[in-house]
Amino acid sequence: MKINAKDVASGALLIAIAVAGLWLNQDHTLGTARRMGPGYMPMMTFWLQMGLGAIVLVMGLFNGPDKLDRWAWRELTLILASLCVFALLLEQGGLFLAIAATVGVASLGDRTHKPLGVLGLIIFLMALCWFVFIRELDIRVNLWPSFF
Amino acid sequence: MDLFANLYLGMSVALSLDNITFALLGAFIGTAIGVLPGIGPVATISLLLPITFGMSATTAIIMLAGIYYGAQYGGSTTSILLNLPGEVSSVVTTLEGYKMARKGRAGAALTIAALGSFFAGTISTILVAASGPLLTSVALSFGPADYFSLMLLGLIISAVLAQGSIVKAIGMVVLGVALGLVGTDVQTGQQRFTFGVPELSDGIGFVAVAMGMFGIAEIILNLERPESRSVLTNKVDSLWLTREEAMRSIAPVLRGTTIGSVLGILPGGGASLAAFGSYMLESKVSKYRHEFGTGAIEGVAGPEAANNAAAQTSFIPLLTLGIPANAVMALMVGALIIQGIQPGPRMVEAQPDLFWGLIASMWVGNLMLLVINLPLIGMWVKLLEVPYRYLYPAILIFCAIGVYSLNNNVFDVYLTVAFGLFGYLCSKLKLEGAPLLIGFVLGPMMEEHLRRAMLLSRGDPMVFLQRPISATLLGIAALALLTMLLPALRKKKEAALAEG
Repeated sequence: MKINAKDVASGALLIAIAVAGLWLNQDHTLGTARRMGPGYMPMMTFWLQMGLGAIVLVMGLFNGPDKLDRWAWRELTLILASLCVFALLLEQGGLFLAIAATVGVASLGDRTHKPLGVLGLIIFLMALCWFVFIRELDIRVNLWPSFF
Repeated sequence: MDLFANLYLGMSVALSLDNITFALLGAFIGTAIGVLPGIGPVATISLLLPITFGMSATTAIIMLAGIYYGAQYGGSTTSILLNLPGEVSSVVTTLEGYKMARKGRAGAALTIAALGSFFAGTISTILVAASGPLLTSVALSFGPADYFSLMLLGLIISAVLAQGSIVKAIGMVVLGVALGLVGTDVQTGQQRFTFGVPELSDGIGFVAVAMGMFGIAEIILNLERPESRSVLTNKVDSLWLTREEAMRSIAPVLRGTTIGSVLGILPGGGASLAAFGSYMLESKVSKYRHEFGTGAIEGVAGPEAANNAAAQTSFIPLLTLGIPANAVMALMVGALIIQGIQPGPRMVEAQPDLFWGLIASMWVGNLMLLVINLPLIGMWVKLLEVPYRYLYPAILIFCAIGVYSLNNNVFDVYLTVAFGLFGYLCSKLKLEGAPLLIGFVLGPMMEEHLRRAMLLSRGDPMVFLQRPISATLLGIAALALLTMLLPALRKKKEAALAEG
C-alpha cells in the first residue's frame, strides 16, 4: 500500500469541513424540494463534499507515495502576523505607524534584509501610499496616531 | 451593418481620454507583473479591485482586462531573454524562445512573440465581437433550469481542466460553493453560517478570498524558495525578422490563434492550456519539427499567438452568459457585481457602452502593448533587478490597505489572513485554488436558479432532463467527466500540464 499523505489529508480536510457544515446546518429549515428552505442547498453541498472527500481519502491510500511537505513556519507566521499588526494598528495608530510596523515585521521573513534597506522601503511606501490612497483615492483613515 | 455601428460605439468609448489612460495603465501594470515572476494577474487584479470602485464600471473593467492580456505579453519577454517564465502561460515560450536567444536571435523571438500576439489579439477580438450578440440571443431563451445546468457544466469543465487530481478539483469547487453560502439567505433573510458576526451577513468578502488564496499564500511560498534569478541577459540585437523567419511563422500563428480561441472559451481553459496545446500541435505538424528543441521559431510564434487569443476569448462566456471561464474572469465578475452590474446575457443590451467599449479597448490595448513592449524591452528587463525582498512588503501593504478600504473595516484584513493560511495549506496539499474561486462566485447564482427551477417544476427534478438545452448541457458535463476516467486521455492531460 502506497499512501499518498497529501491526498489523505486533503480528503480528511474536506470531510471535516463538511461535517462541521452539516452540524451547523441543523439550525436551518430544509423545506421541500419544491420550496427549498435556507438549509436545502447547504445540505446537498456538504453531503456532496463529504462524498468527494471520502473518495479522495480512500484513493489517497493507494495512489502514493507522496509525503506531506514541510511548512515554512517562520515565513508563514511572520507574514500573517504582519497583516494582523496592520489591522490592529490602523484605526488607532494611523496609516503611517501601521505601514512601518507591518513592513518591519514582514521584513524579518527574508533573511537577506538589511536595516537600512527596510527603513528606506518604509519611507518609500509611506510616501507612495499617501499619494495613492490618501491624495488620489481619498480613503477615510487616520494618518497619525490618535491614542488619546 | 450592425456590427460596425456597434464597433464604432465601442471605439468611441475606448478612445475616451479616461478609458484610454486606464487601458494604458492596465497594460503597463500587466506587462510589469508579467515580467516579474512571483506575482501573477490573479493576485494583481484582486489587489487593484478596491482601487477601481471610484471609477465607472467600464473604465474599471477596461483597466483590469488590460492587466490580464498585458501579463501575457510581459511573460514572454523574460521567457525568451532569461529562460524565466514570468507567467505560467509563457512556460512553453522558454522551450524554443530561450534557445533562439542563445543562437543570437533574441530580437527575432521577441518580435515574433509580440507580432503573433497582436495578430491573435486582433482576430480573437473580432471573434468576441461577432459571437457576443449571437450567443446572447441564445442565452436569453434560457430558463432557470438551463442556467443551473450551464453553471454546473462550467464548474465541471473547470475542474476537469485543472491541474492534478480531478476529484480534488471538484472537491475544491464544492468547497467554494459552500463558502459562497455564508451570509444572509436571499429568500428568507435567515443568517447562514455567520456565527453571529455582523460582518459576515453580506457573505464572505470576495476580495479577501482571492487576495488571501492568491496573494498572501503566494508570498509565503515565494519566500520559502530561495531566490534564483540570473542577471545574465542575452543581448538583444536586431528586432527585425529575416524573410525566412517571417515565412515560417505565418502558419503557426494562424494555427495558434485558432487553437487558442477555442481553448479560451472553455471554462477552466485559458492562456496556459492554449500555449501548451499549440506547442504540442506545432511539434507534430510543423515542417521544421526536427528543429524543435534547438530554437525553432514555430515554437515561439504558435504558443504566443495561442495564449493571447485565449486570454481574449475567455471573455466570451463572461460577457454573454455571466459565467467566468477561469480565476481571472471570476475576479471580473466580482468587479462587475461590486459595481452593481449583474453579468449575464442582458449586459449587451443594458450596458452597450461596457460591452462594446471593452471589446474595442482590447484591440486598442493590444496595439499599445506592441508599442510599449518592443522599444522598452531594456526597461522591462531592468525591472527584474528589483529584488523580491523589496517587492513583497509592498504587495502586503497594498493588499492590506486595499482590503481595508472595501468596507473601512479591519475585519476584512483578518479574513484575508485566514484565507492566506488556508491558501498555504491548500498548496501544501496540492489542492487547487482556482476551482474554489470559480465555485465561490457561481455558488450563490446556482442556488438561486436551482430554487427557482424547482419551484417552477413543482419540485420535480426531471425538469433538468426534460428541457432540451439543460439536458444537452448536462450531457456534455457527464461526457467531460467520463472522458477523464479514460486512462489514456488522463495521461495526455497530465503530460500537457506537467510543466505548468
